[in-house]
Amino acid sequence: MTDQFVVAPMLVALVSIVLTLGTRRRLGTQIALSVAGALAYAGTVLAIVWRVVFSPGASPVTYQLGGWPAPFGITLVADALSAFMLSMVAVVGLAALVFSVSYMTPDEQRVFYHPLFHCLLLGVSGAFLTGDLFNLFVWFEVMLLSSYVFVAFYGRKKHTRAALWYVVLNLVGSVVMLVAIGGLYSITGTLNMADMARRLADPAAFGIRVEAVVGLSALLFAVFALKAGLVPFQFWVPAAYRAAPLPVTALLAGVTKKVGLYAIVRLYFTVFGATRLSVSIPGVGGDSLLAFYGVVLFCLATASVLVGGLGALAADELEGVFAYSSISQIGFIVVPLAIGAASARPAIQHLAILAALVYALNHALAKSTLFMAAGTVRSAIGTSRLRNLGGIASHSPALAGVFFVAALSLVGIPPLTGFFGKLLVFDVALRAESAFGLALLLGGTGLTIAYTTRVWNRAFWGEASPAVAASSPARVQLVVVVALAACIVAVGVGFDPVYRFADAAATAATDRGAYIDAVGLTGGAGA
Amino acid sequence: MRTTARVVVPIILIVSISLFLQGHNLPGGGFIGGVLTTTAFALVYIAYGLDFPRVLGHEMEPAESVFEDPVVVAYRRTFLSGLAIAVGGGLVPLLFDLPFLSQTYVILHDIPIYHEIELASALVFDLGVFLVVVGGLLTVLSVVGAE
Repeated sequence: MTDQFVVAPMLVALVSIVLTLGTRRRLGTQIALSVAGALAYAGTVLAIVWRVVFSPGASPVTYQLGGWPAPFGITLVADALSAFMLSMVAVVGLAALVFSVSYMTPDEQRVFYHPLFHCLLLGVSGAFLTGDLFNLFVWFEVMLLSSYVFVAFYGRKKHTRAALWYVVLNLVGSVVMLVAIGGLYSITGTLNMADMARRLADPAAFGIRVEAVVGLSALLFAVFALKAGLVPFQFWVPAAYRAAPLPVTALLAGVTKKVGLYAIVRLYFTVFGATRLSVSIPGVGGDSLLAFYGVVLFCLATASVLVGGLGALAADELEGVFAYSSISQIGFIVVPLAIGAASARPAIQHLAILAALVYALNHALAKSTLFMAAGTVRSAIGTSRLRNLGGIASHSPALAGVFFVAALSLVGIPPLTGFFGKLLVFDVALRAESAFGLALLLGGTGLTIAYTTRVWNRAFWGEASPAVAASSPARVQLVVVVALAACIVAVGVGFDPVYRFADAAATAATDRGAYIDAVGLTGGAGA
Repeated sequence: MRTTARVVVPIILIVSISLFLQGHNLPGGGFIGGVLTTTAFALVYIAYGLDFPRVLGHEMEPAESVFEDPVVVAYRRTFLSGLAIAVGGGLVPLLFDLPFLSQTYVILHDIPIYHEIELASALVFDLGVFLVVVGGLLTVLSVVGAE
């Protein structure tokens, strides 16, 4: 029964933490071990992806930590959805780590940079793999504790200020999350997500009061929205993203935010969606708990797209533009989820999750490329203020090309990844006949075009400013961002396997029965 | 204060070790034992000041920054070795094709005085946690205390 590869990414990250801590005095060794750790991490993720999605006879695989059986022990579940999210982590994490070896000064890297980086990877992969609600909270904390340090990393006034905000908000979030999980445990009598889904599908048999589940799941939802940075919980995003070291920001925006989204998909579509409830909201079909969240998600997504887009238009630094843009892009990811949740038709739900996942992949690749490109600009030129930049395109065509590709992918131009993301999202809105959704998507895309064009005009076009003319981008950093940009093009051109992967992931998210079966719980009464 | 510390510290240490040893099937364990051990050290620090390792007769050059202080370096080593023991102990079951963190135990018979002792592999993990807690908390205590 032991499929050790399920736990392998976490073990690799753990061992990397120990090794990089142990070699702190020899920076060369530490960097080599750290990069080797990230490579090994990518390798283990590849093994999971192969085994769970692409190999013949692929199926979800579970792993009982310490050999304790479900639902009492902690279960790790590697299904297509987890594998899809993990592969994003592997790509962005590896790129960000190689990038930071060049971007961070040796002194900065000595200050526990590498151990913390692997700690962040550990937390994120734990959150994607766990099948236990309380364990999810623990991995959230592992991830957050290391990101606290990163936001305060440079330790000057504005970083400390951003970190204070970030820590206080997330601590409040964690407390709320703990309360909600405790409440759900007392009502459903289980913490195992598959077991919970099974019990919620038949609340009468287990003596569960559905109304209480609605309230507690809403409490939990607020926490995930906070972590994902949806409006009105977005206010920590710009400050924290500007304060953290830029390669880490790339990881935070590209991957950590997706943990909130993943939790929404996993818990609300797979687990809470089992609850039957009579909903009487105009324009919303369905008799599931999800219908209620369709409305909520739609409001949050609308606000995120608009606030993020307008904020990005007004920001005066590259990082500021990209931070606001990521609020808006998260909105784009949530729009199909909202439409899918409000729709009673399984086909649309499936397509909606598929669209959200492809869009999330696009955002992970494009946004981390943009943040790292901003890092390259910053370390070569010394500033990323739009007013001091100009003419980068004539001075460093490669860097400009990278920005061009990533920005077009955000807008959604074929043949880049973003095109398929946008296509699928529009497809969902069309099939669900959501006129308002279509208008929102069009408006949001307009805003995206406006702010990317603005950055292009100010920073990349025109005469080279004195600061730009005197600069030369570091080669390693250029290689990393060019590789990521190539990745965006490659995923777009060879979209077919990615589509199959995302399709399998969406199936995994909606197929509640398969999830419960994978964990090995039989239906019926008794635990 | 010093008199109290002299009497109380050994008691605290013994209680913490017994808590640590019973941890795998009674309340207690590495974390609580570690915290209690740290409080013993904290009491010594309060009674004798931050320089108490020097009072004990160890000659040490004053370091440039508190991070390079030999005592703090030793605490950090404790932390690291604890982490390594906990992770390494968790990895051992993989060799036997068992899940990560699997535990087992043996009961040793015919031991003088105790007659039988339960030797649990969970103790290794607990030892790691114990060292992590002691090393981590004492590093924080001495670095923040020095500022």
